[in-house]
Amino acid sequence: MSDETSIKEANGSKKILVADDESHILHVVSLKLRNAGYQVVTARDGQEAFDLANAEHPDLLITDYHMPQLSGLELCQKLKADASTANIPAIMLTARGYHLEPSDTTQNGILRMLSKPFSPRQLLATVQEVLLERAA
Amino acid sequence: MSHSILTASPLSTTQTLCAPSGVLEAVATRLRSGGVMLATLNTEARVVFHDAAAGTFFQRYVVPMLQWADPTSGQSTLAERVGRLDASNGVCVWDFIPGVLVAAAGLKHRKQSTGTLLLACKSSSFGKTEDVMRVCGRLALDATWLKHQADPLPSYAEDALQRQLGLVNGMVQDQVRMGGLESELESLSGQLANTYEELTLIYQISSGMRINRRAADFFKQACLDVLEVMGVEGMGVALHAENFHRQEPVIYGPLGLPPGVIHRLSEQLMTELTQRKSVLLVNDLPHDKNYSWLGEFAKTLIAVPLQRQDQVLGCLFGLNKNGGEFDSADSKLLNSIANESAIYIENAMLFDDVHGLMMGLLHSLTSAVDAKDAYTCGHSERVALLSRHLAQEAGLSDHQVERVYMAGLLHDVGKIGVPEEVLRKTGRLTPEEFEQMKKHPEVGARILRDIKQIADIIPGVLHHHERFDGKGYPSALSGQDIPIMGRIICLADSFDAMTSNRTYRKALPLEVALTEIRRCSGTQFDPALTEAFLRIGVDRFRDLLTVHQEQSKRLIDLQQLIRGA
Repeated sequence: MSDETSIKEANGSKKILVADDESHILHVVSLKLRNAGYQVVTARDGQEAFDLANAEHPDLLITDYHMPQLSGLELCQKLKADASTANIPAIMLTARGYHLEPSDTTQNGILRMLSKPFSPRQLLATVQEVLLERAA
Repeated sequence: MSHSILTASPLSTTQTLCAPSGVLEAVATRLRSGGVMLATLNTEARVVFHDAAAGTFFQRYVVPMLQWADPTSGQSTLAERVGRLDASNGVCVWDFIPGVLVAAAGLKHRKQSTGTLLLACKSSSFGKTEDVMRVCGRLALDATWLKHQADPLPSYAEDALQRQLGLVNGMVQDQVRMGGLESELESLSGQLANTYEELTLIYQISSGMRINRRAADFFKQACLDVLEVMGVEGMGVALHAENFHRQEPVIYGPLGLPPGVIHRLSEQLMTELTQRKSVLLVNDLPHDKNYSWLGEFAKTLIAVPLQRQDQVLGCLFGLNKNGGEFDSADSKLLNSIANESAIYIENAMLFDDVHGLMMGLLHSLTSAVDAKDAYTCGHSERVALLSRHLAQEAGLSDHQVERVYMAGLLHDVGKIGVPEEVLRKTGRLTPEEFEQMKKHPEVGARILRDIKQIADIIPGVLHHHERFDGKGYPSALSGQDIPIMGRIICLADSFDAMTSNRTYRKALPLEVALTEIRRCSGTQFDPALTEAFLRIGVDRFRDLLTVHQEQSKRLIDLQQLIRGA
């Protein structure tokens, strides 16, 4: 139990930005992340996510690919173009069977892809993996 | 008496929280700036919250009186008022103590009374009344000091305080409703997250149903996935032995069970589920009449049959649900997984059936050819085995290795078209006879070409007499132009021919044959494959041929039958 508490405390210093236009995804993802102790900020479209990334400087971005105004990929490209947000790693959520070009992912800081419907457990594991890689 | 007032502890009584404390703090702060103190009472009219920062006047003069309870009955002084409030379902304002006005309103959640909202302020009569002095005496307060504390506070008339209470009540009720909605949302999100897990799990299981996957691997993965999603300590599978490769029952997860226990459990479950054909839930194993023997190993059990068309093929079972009992959600999930798994089992059984039938037919065809010539008895089977070993040694994929085996088995099928007197001739063949003999690869390819499922092995049959230097037949291909199957079978075929008895000579010792193979590397044989073949080594060849000899008894019997007839 104390182990779990200390892990949660350690996670508490990490802030994660979640962007998806489907509110149920936002709820499921932020619940899972909050329960693991992370700070979570949410955005309902790419533009809002871009503004929040600049204001909040999150440690990680989880974004849907299909979003109004700014797609997940365009969001990552815009973040990459600005030095202050260029190093935010991203996890991209996509429809099943949808694939991005490898050059699109590597150039834009997209470290992992998960297809919907994803397992929240698996998403959490992926988040921990990415943050650990960053810390190393 | 005054001591009992001050030490009264309202929070120790039954608490019904009527609003989240965060909401109350926020409202209290706003009221405080207007000289009004917020408090809430539980359903027994005890103070459960009051604005502790409202100021000394409230803290010393009002709060102790709100908290006061009759020392003999233990009843709150507010109980009577609040009781009447409930009945009238409204708001009331009264002179609580001299110089203090109190307004109260009932808090409700889903038509249930959850407590009382209370505002207190200085009344316009403060300072005019002698009674303030009397209460000060009871509370051991200095009246002049109290008046000094009260001076900066605004005083309110009854209707003004009532209006404030109306606003505050609305705000608090809204907040409470929102709090309720938020926790509902939270619980819905939690349920949705579980549904996502289950959906992903079922997706994973169905996409893991590749037919060529071993049953043990398929079920291991399925069990490990269910283990995590359902939150159990042990997840196992048992299959009817006669249906399925004599698969032993297994259990995965942190709950270790002795093999004897797993066997006993799986036998009991199979018997029971074969009859009931539906999910079995036991949430108190130690006291169950059928499963109490399992009680020392686990507390709870869930099991579902794996069935196709009313036939129970096996079962899935879970033990020890983390932190509780198995419920209908678990049985629904496990049922879906059992349905998916049953499809896999049925497909795998069908696959085995068809595969078995095809291999049986191929072996029959081969036996028919080999039976024509006593001296080549078992030749096709041996070439198939040798080819399989060579393919493995050369690093071909598992699938390719099996196809090479089949090609090896069928390589001489075309000899069915060669006259027996040519096949059995002891002396040297005439050029005409040799031409007849040379046709067998093409005849074989022709015989097999209509079976589209084995189209990929025909090159092995057609080209097993090509030579690496291009001097072979039927196409005089050379080097890498010769299909890999052809090059492999060519080696295996020559080796077996040298190491078997022939009409014109005795079998050569293995070592001599291997030397001959090495000598022909680069001319007759692919040098890389020759290296791989020589790596197999004499001992393994000997083992291989011994094993085969036992297997080929039936073929010898067949030949004896033919010769006798």
